[in-house]
Amino acid sequence: MNTTAIEKLIPVFSAAFAAIYIVSVELNWALFTYHPKIHQWGWLVEPSRDGPPMYWYGWLVTSTLGAAVVSAIALPLLKNRPTQYWLGWTVPLLVMLSVFYLFRDFFLR
Amino acid sequence: MATFLVILHGLLAVALLGSITHQAVAVVWPARSKAGFASAYRSVSSPVYANANIVLFLAVACLGAYIYPVYRVWVRTYLESARLYSAVGSFEIKEQFISIGLGLLPLYWLVWRRPDPAGQSARTAVTLILCFIVWLGFIVGHILNNVRGFFGL
Repeated sequence: MNTTAIEKLIPVFSAAFAAIYIVSVELNWALFTYHPKIHQWGWLVEPSRDGPPMYWYGWLVTSTLGAAVVSAIALPLLKNRPTQYWLGWTVPLLVMLSVFYLFRDFFLR
Repeated sequence: MATFLVILHGLLAVALLGSITHQAVAVVWPARSKAGFASAYRSVSSPVYANANIVLFLAVACLGAYIYPVYRVWVRTYLESARLYSAVGSFEIKEQFISIGLGLLPLYWLVWRRPDPAGQSARTAVTLILCFIVWLGFIVGHILNNVRGFFGL
């Protein structure tokens, strides 16, 4: 893969990462779970073993792998197009706005 | 150990905050003259900050990820028992924004690697988004770190 192809893929990666990340948070698509109180790891989403489980690390890995796959799929579509810089920041910006909405319950109690 | 790492996390965040704010100001409000403090602040060469900001963002995020379990087990439990839901929610928002910021770093690197006119608006937007994320993360982290003092607990 040459430098130009990587440059064209990066905005797609950033957009896909943000989109997949917020879906992972909402639907809890964690690739693994960490149980911090007992220092144990488990595959996919696990309920609490002892203490609160942590899914954040799993969401990050899900999003990274998902965004890499989306970027690879998008590669043929981007071949003859200029780098879509706008895509790489508009989608994360929209996702950030949606975060305020999705987590509003914490501030309305 | 956790206290030392939280302080280190905070100190690196201060460095990142200063660096990315400097860059963002120079992008949005550039100046040619270096006469006076404000103009000198605005007239810096923005591209030279990019790699340092990436390294600092990664370092702060990795340190935060390492000490996150301490927050999850002890601090968040305490906040919930004290019914400080807005504090818990603020951290949740910070957590999601830092993640989105991590996903933006490759694009940030790209738009600053070879500043060309086609990427001008993206360069401004990504820098401002990351600057906002860093400021929000810093303020929320600072408040949570001092939550008992802030809320008189």
